[in-house]
Amino acid sequence: MRFLASLRSGRDTVTGMIPGWVLAVVLIVFAVIFPYLVGSGSFLDASTQTLAYVIMALGLNIVVGFAGLLDLGYVAFYAIGAFVIGWFGSQQFPDVNGGKGIHILASDRATFQPKLSGGRLDIAGIHINFFIVLFIAMAITALWGVLLGAPTLRLRGDYLAIVTLAFGEIVPRVFENSTSGLFGIGSTDFSHGRQGITPIDKINLPWSHDLLYSDANLKPAYWVALGMVFFTIFVNRRLRDSRLGRAWIAVREDEVAAASMGINLVRTKLWAYAIGAAFGGFAGVFLGTYNNTVNVDQFEFGFSVFILAMVIVGGMGNIWGVIVGAVALSMMNRYGLPQLNSLSEPLGFDVTSISFGIFGFFLLIMMVLRPEGLIPSGRRRLELREAEIEGSEDTGAVGDMSQMYEVRQ
Amino acid sequence: MSDQQQSGGAAVASSPPVGETLMEVTGVSKVFGGLVAVNDVNFIVPRKAIVSLIGPNGAGKTTFFNCLTGLYRPTTGRVNFDGTDITAKRPDIVTQAGIARTFQNIKLFRTMTATENVEVGMHPRLRSRVTGMILRTPFVRREEKAARERAREILSSVGLKRMDELAMNLPYGDQRRLEIARALASEPKLLLLDEPTAGMNPQESEELRTLMERLRTEQDISILLIEHDMKVVMNVSDHITVLDHGEKIAEGSPQEVRQNPRVIEAYLGSQA
Amino acid sequence: MEAASITETASAPPPARKVGDVLNAYALPLLLFGALLAQFIYEPTGTLENVKTGLSNGMVWALIALGYTLVYGIVELINFAHGEVFMIGAFVALSLWQTFGVTESTGLALIVVSIIAFLVASMGASATLNVLIERAAYRPLRNAPKLAPLITAIGMSFILQNVGLLWRPTPDQVPDLIGSHSVYFTIFKVDVLHSDVFAVVVTVPLLIGLLWFVGSTKYGKAMRATAQDPDAARLMGIDVDRTISLTFLLGGLMAGAAGLIYALYNLTVRFNMGFTAGLIAFTAAVMGGIGNLKGAVIGGLIIGVIQAVSDGGNFLGLPLGEAWTPAVVFAILILVMVFRPQGLFGEETREG
Repeated sequence: MRFLASLRSGRDTVTGMIPGWVLAVVLIVFAVIFPYLVGSGSFLDASTQTLAYVIMALGLNIVVGFAGLLDLGYVAFYAIGAFVIGWFGSQQFPDVNGGKGIHILASDRATFQPKLSGGRLDIAGIHINFFIVLFIAMAITALWGVLLGAPTLRLRGDYLAIVTLAFGEIVPRVFENSTSGLFGIGSTDFSHGRQGITPIDKINLPWSHDLLYSDANLKPAYWVALGMVFFTIFVNRRLRDSRLGRAWIAVREDEVAAASMGINLVRTKLWAYAIGAAFGGFAGVFLGTYNNTVNVDQFEFGFSVFILAMVIVGGMGNIWGVIVGAVALSMMNRYGLPQLNSLSEPLGFDVTSISFGIFGFFLLIMMVLRPEGLIPSGRRRLELREAEIEGSEDTGAVGDMSQMYEVRQ
Repeated sequence: MSDQQQSGGAAVASSPPVGETLMEVTGVSKVFGGLVAVNDVNFIVPRKAIVSLIGPNGAGKTTFFNCLTGLYRPTTGRVNFDGTDITAKRPDIVTQAGIARTFQNIKLFRTMTATENVEVGMHPRLRSRVTGMILRTPFVRREEKAARERAREILSSVGLKRMDELAMNLPYGDQRRLEIARALASEPKLLLLDEPTAGMNPQESEELRTLMERLRTEQDISILLIEHDMKVVMNVSDHITVLDHGEKIAEGSPQEVRQNPRVIEAYLGSQA
Repeated sequence: MEAASITETASAPPPARKVGDVLNAYALPLLLFGALLAQFIYEPTGTLENVKTGLSNGMVWALIALGYTLVYGIVELINFAHGEVFMIGAFVALSLWQTFGVTESTGLALIVVSIIAFLVASMGASATLNVLIERAAYRPLRNAPKLAPLITAIGMSFILQNVGLLWRPTPDQVPDLIGSHSVYFTIFKVDVLHSDVFAVVVTVPLLIGLLWFVGSTKYGKAMRATAQDPDAARLMGIDVDRTISLTFLLGGLMAGAAGLIYALYNLTVRFNMGFTAGLIAFTAAVMGGIGNLKGAVIGGLIIGVIQAVSDGGNFLGLPLGEAWTPAVVFAILILVMVFRPQGLFGEETREG
């Protein structure tokens, strides 16, 4: 019980023996010096992508783990974030500003192209500094989180899941089809259709024209992603231990009781959607520039499930569990499977092609054998285990639930 | 305010309770499909009063509660609380207005600790905003600290000692106490208790009775009580209303209700 | 309305009513029909053509939708893997034709025999698979929170999709055994193709058979009883586990048949065909009111028509087209789920 108490009280140390801050310092130091340990090769590349997935998993964890809203369309926010950098960091809109483009603290070497004569900023298109776009994208995705979340608020768990899934499918289709205006209005090309937007501006510090990293030296890209991860963890932890975090858990456990305690269900859930979505966009911007392309093929349902699997495998609701889950699955996907493939390929078998099947298998095994995840939050485990024991305890407990909240929220 | 009290209030009442009106319920009905669960009930809760709602099982007491707290929208009727109309308002708005409740089938946040449960109860009284929570401004820090201390105070005032225990691990009586503590955390003017002594032993019931008295005298809280334990009801209530089949069949002082033939019939009838 | 069930948010308030009341039982179908009528006036022959294609396509959606609605009706689970069960059905049929070397040039009698035999085979394969999925993946989670089996189902769907990928990595051609694109007859200037007739001829008896089975046999009664209240059904001596298996079996049978029809209708199969088909069919099931068998059939036909009209391109001046069709279908799914979660035709008893 003491073990559980230590988990609950917000100090999620793995053993409960080592003080949390010691573990944190060790991990942070390790994460920072990590590129020096592995060099700037494919392993670092995989690690950098993994960091972006960690951000998304933490974002989705707010929606699924904290607030208990199963979101199967998280890829929509990745897509929106990626398209924001696609629009604000490429030559997608060549005609703006009379073809001279708009440049805000952008590099003149934004796309790894040879330096332009005299460093003139006259590349066509909109070019806004990466670090500014990050926050623009967060704001935009948060807004979309609210817009897409609002219709789902009163739906039951599985219906909510399907509606979010549908949104996750619609958003990329809209991008894909908006090659000549939106729904036939206007004629701007927003996406280049299936080809996608490429190249995307690389990262430069606002006060410098030098690009932060190159293909030969990926370390700075890793550190940018790591900084973003720290920011995400910081916000997640602060929110979890706040009035809003308590409200999320209360809503997850019992909506009726939560509302009766003065919690505004609509506002509480929309905050979860908004903040969760914002981190999807946050990571989306990074992946857009890091992958140098924004392409609708990246935004499949499978991706939503991929991120969801990270949250579930790690342990819904537990920040450290989710990070472990994200790192494990992402490294397996980005590094482990390709490695394994070099063994299986001579046998004529492509392991990477069935990566989603492997994640599906993990999801299934986790749900059947260990629904609380590898490193569950204390409460989440109890909830999941308890429901098994109690079965349908709540069924019809309160007279006529269909009449409850018959009114609007 | 006092005009309304004169006009709408004492429809069936044989002896309207004295004191200023805190909540006034006028003609509330609730119909489910074809079933009339609550039928045209008028009802008054004065300030600093303990008022009970009794009746046989299925009389519509909990439905009536749900109509007051916004979980159900009344089919007809009005609910006026402390000068504002709260008819069919959302549950969280009702709670913010100053009504807190407990549930007949305990609805705690089972995997939160007792203290956390009470902190959730304080939700409408806390002022932190999201940016403040993320930056953990001095204001938020102070507020969180104060909330924690206040939560512990409330818990000890209801006599719950295992404050860091998960709600689900508490014994039944403590869970009931915790529900009351959680309700009190929103600093209500009116506390609705739905069968709070169910499952309690006589000693616990007695403690609860004194707690209710204390809340009334020390914190000026009115209490509306649904209760089956007649000993508690008769000892603690200023005024009793009896529901049967969704209708108010009697009301008055404990003495009056005890002797009312319709009440006796309703109870005996339901026993048979 | 289903009782609040076993999720963590067990007491979640039910879906919206207010706007649903406005869009009452008739408003949404009338709206859809009105739009179709307007389109008909705008472009008569093309619209009729689309309606025809939609209806025959809708047969396939209806068959798949039945699987969703049966399973949801009885265990309140969105069987995410159902689309993949359909895909496997199509793959089995194709493999059998390939194994036995049945092609366009095979004699008519043999073709007919092979279609009938392999219809039974693919139905059997899909049904067996569906029952096994339930045994292995869903039954252990019968009493878990509702979202656990849903996530398991998604996992199952991915696994099967990858099985399909290993089986047939690239889209495969299906032998054109029925001369799919040949005209069978022409009515109101609309060419009715062999494939259209085939879809109707195979589907209608299956639908009637299923409705009869669920409506009139003692097994059907057991299913309906279990759907209403599993505990009560158990007390009445119904073997709930077996009834649930039977439900998955029936759903699998329909999906297998749909797979074979789809293969001959479209003449191409692909490992990921089940995902989209599954979501379209699920939309149909929700439209018809989930748990409502006839509703699922009608929903399938409606979705088929919507899809065909959207594929047709210009709809009342809206520049739709095949690229937009998934978005259109998903938008309709959202509209129905949010505003009319009990389905277009109001509430009916489950499995009714």
